[in-house]
Amino acid sequence: MSRRDFFRASGLVAAGAVGGPALLGGLTKARAASPAKPAWDSRFSACDMCFNKCGLIARVEDGVITKLDPNPKFLKSRGMLCARGNAGLAQVYDPDRLKHPLLRKGARGEGKWQRIPWDEALDMAAQKMAEVREKYTPCGHLFTAGSDLQSQFVGRFAEVYGSFNVTSHESLCLVSGSRAFLDTFGEVPFADVLNSKYILMVGANRFEALVTPDSIDLMTTIRENGCKLVTLDPRYTKTAALSHEWYPVRPGTDMAFMLALAHVIINEKLFDPQWIADKTFGIEQLTAHVQRYTPGFAAEQCGIPAEDIARIARELAAAAPSSMVYPGRRTSDYEDSTQIRRSFAIVNGLLGNWDRPGGLLAARQVGLKGVPYDAPWYDENREDRIDAGKVPMMFEHEGSFVVTRDSVLNDDPYPIRGWFIYKTNPMGTAPNRKKTIEMMNKMDFVTVVDIAMSDTAWMADLVLPSQSYLERKDPCSGLQGSVACACVVKRDPVIDPLYESRPLFDIMKDIAGRMELGEFFDFTLDEYREKQTREIPEALGVMDRDGVYYNPSKVYGIYDGRIYKTLSKKVELYNQRYEQMGLDPLPEYTPPAGPAKNQFRMVIGRNAMITQSSTANNALLHQFLPTNTLWLNPEAAGRLGIKDGDLVEVTSPVGRQELKAEVTDRIRPDTVFMLSGYNTLSTMQHLSHNNGASINELLDDDFDAITGNASMHTTFVTVTRKVA
Amino acid sequence: MAQQLAMVIDAAKCIDCKGCVAACKVANNVPEGQFRNWIKHAEYRAVPGISDNGVRFQPGACMHCENPTCVAACPTGATYKDFDTGEVVIDASLCIGCGNCIPACPYHARYRNEVTRKADKCNYCPERRAAGLQPACVDTCPTKARVFGDINDPTSAAGALFLKNKERLTRVTAKTNTLPNMYYLGDPGPGDWGGEAVVPASMVAMQESAPFIKGIVALSGLGVLAMLGRQLFAGSGSDHKEDTDA
Ligand code: SF4
Ligand code: SF4
Ligand code: SF4
Repeated sequence: MSRRDFFRASGLVAAGAVGGPALLGGLTKARAASPAKPAWDSRFSACDMCFNKCGLIARVEDGVITKLDPNPKFLKSRGMLCARGNAGLAQVYDPDRLKHPLLRKGARGEGKWQRIPWDEALDMAAQKMAEVREKYTPCGHLFTAGSDLQSQFVGRFAEVYGSFNVTSHESLCLVSGSRAFLDTFGEVPFADVLNSKYILMVGANRFEALVTPDSIDLMTTIRENGCKLVTLDPRYTKTAALSHEWYPVRPGTDMAFMLALAHVIINEKLFDPQWIADKTFGIEQLTAHVQRYTPGFAAEQCGIPAEDIARIARELAAAAPSSMVYPGRRTSDYEDSTQIRRSFAIVNGLLGNWDRPGGLLAARQVGLKGVPYDAPWYDENREDRIDAGKVPMMFEHEGSFVVTRDSVLNDDPYPIRGWFIYKTNPMGTAPNRKKTIEMMNKMDFVTVVDIAMSDTAWMADLVLPSQSYLERKDPCSGLQGSVACACVVKRDPVIDPLYESRPLFDIMKDIAGRMELGEFFDFTLDEYREKQTREIPEALGVMDRDGVYYNPSKVYGIYDGRIYKTLSKKVELYNQRYEQMGLDPLPEYTPPAGPAKNQFRMVIGRNAMITQSSTANNALLHQFLPTNTLWLNPEAAGRLGIKDGDLVEVTSPVGRQELKAEVTDRIRPDTVFMLSGYNTLSTMQHLSHNNGASINELLDDDFDAITGNASMHTTFVTVTRKVA
Repeated sequence: MAQQLAMVIDAAKCIDCKGCVAACKVANNVPEGQFRNWIKHAEYRAVPGISDNGVRFQPGACMHCENPTCVAACPTGATYKDFDTGEVVIDASLCIGCGNCIPACPYHARYRNEVTRKADKCNYCPERRAAGLQPACVDTCPTKARVFGDINDPTSAAGALFLKNKERLTRVTAKTNTLPNMYYLGDPGPGDWGGEAVVPASMVAMQESAPFIKGIVALSGLGVLAMLGRQLFAGSGSDHKEDTDA
């Protein structure tokens, strides 16, 4: 007799059954062999905890989401869901969520709000927008949206309202990188990580800042396909730790490293001469240009031994065309970040990896179509955006947030007094938070649509609660992901919307209706989806069945027999358009300033649990990352008398913050680092308010001279121990 | 051959993203600040240049041991080894929350669930398996570092991996060797964190602190005491199987 049987016989079982769950249920062995009918309904959706939109299946019990699981058929995310994806529940059921429309009562940022009915809120939004247009012309209103599946309706609204002034989050992130690759290859590539044999990872941290499918493919390829991974980073990130080689590059010197690689590849004739002759433009100019950038020169700049630089160049070339300098995403780093990324693109050009396995891939055919409309004409309107002409090569539909902000502050060349913001948080993501506050204070009326009281909402006049990604119906969206797929996703509600939340689409529609712009929103989302999928009519049904639709389009050789969308119609090692515009046609290296004595360069970065400012208040993720710390090298800490865990004060030219020091050799002695998203002003974010330090309060607001991308790595700070 | 459910883990693939930990928490309602699974790593030094590839992020959870000392420590039979599947199970309806099993696990895989007040640990997500799904941590893992299944079944993913890599499989070895059913492919990284199983020396103290048990013991008389005594001595030995006649 086993103990269990003994206890059963002795009556303990019955006693146990009183207090516990159904005993028989507890005893029944759950076997994997025979799937029973699960206790939950399964519904497809796509994650929205970052921009990746990984496919998921929501398990719903009695109208409540109990678990989010990966959709195994979703190849772009390789059938996975990261910690943030799993924490989607905590976002939807966050007690801090906005529940009903709120109207500001006290001073801006004072936190006094009055609950108002939706009708009143929409009337007010429409009336205030009309007033701004009346007084300041349509361009007197700014529209800002994040990269959400409904964000396109903000763009549509802005256009029919008549404003060119639209900004997104991208100019705080990646536009300089996009610019550089676009101006080299004619389009922004996808990296074929999975099939690569050699990856040089510089200025990207793919095992912590997860991007699908690259992050996952990177592990598969280095462990299973024998790909070599070399990482340059001032921090010993997890990517660095798992790489074959890591070099703590001196911040801001990446371009010297790249030009030295080009120097070696060219001088040792390690490129494919046929490819260079057929497909590229400017090898002579580049050859002359890189002569002065020897490995020895780069070594002095970067702090990486010259022989390693030369060896890495040779290894990259030997593995070409299945090798790459990984393009990376967050390229908002220096004032010449477009040129820095051009140097990355140029090395890829030399490797001849464009459109080939293991290299950089062109965008594939997804099959979705746009839904065109004719925006009305406004005679009284301005000629151009407020940030027009201030940097030479901005992306029209993304704008430059920092340039726009300066323009607004100076009414240069005209005033902007209204601001509509959907699901992005410039107060928490743009450098120099004080300036964003000033910009807010300049506004007659600010409307924010979001699910939480972000710092941006906190500074608004009217806050409208929107639905989370699991509560609403979204348009279709096309996704690319290396060789993984060109796919289409959509979102349908998996639960009924909570509180009084409404989707942005309805909000835009209702405001438009009140402004005699109703005809531009005269459709349902189903009708919109039908139009988007008019050339792939099977897609909607397939998405209902699988949660995703794949377009079986070509992966490699897309450019066979096709010309590149550049001036020379080839890969532009030397950029002719830049030359015409008076910009450096080849990247010129300028040594970065070093920190003054007792100062540090502050760098930004991610980890796998954080999406900018939108996750620090997530109750589940908070358990993993309760606060942020200042990474400080032991050498520097020793000099300053700072011990691990000490409270320190960090001072920059624009702000001051306090947080705990994390003394670690995972960062260079001249550099400090902290995560973003903490120490929110909004007290309605209980976990992030008054917790840690706000990095955007500290960062100075320099920007890339070509695109206006914010440059987040140009701030020097001093660090002192805070005496209690 | 009976089943042996187990995890076969490639620690070299783990990127310490904590997806598995988050998934487990949601799937199993693990209270705030408590965890059924983990990622361990040694203190690593940042050494520039060519890496010796020593950094390992080691995913883990209850190892459903061959010789589970937790079973030995459980006075009520709530914790038992299911010899059909190889799982170490906690029957919540029998668990009195005495906590004896917690120090008895040399891997600190158990905790007292703050909400249910009962012992808790990884249970391989039975509700999910019943629905034909993988355990939550395995399903969600981006790099599929965690592989789960019956290692006695060569056609299962875990079984195939287990058989193919027999030579290089390692286990984390605690001071008390419980023969864990968590297998790592090659070097799993830190191997020295497993401690010593502390099985309560006397059930007397337990009885006094748990009136409920005392009642039961009174009810069923000497048999229980004899059984408990036997369990204490036999349970931590390798001949623990005689304890069950399943
Ligand atoms: S001893 Fe620890 S690891 Fe082993 S079965 Fe028991 S709880 Fe799990
Ligand atoms: S198998 Fe289930 S209970 Fe065990 S660690 Fe994984 S998710 Fe948690
Ligand atoms: S989900 Fe996978 S990769 Fe991420 S920490 Fe867990 S085991 Fe490691």
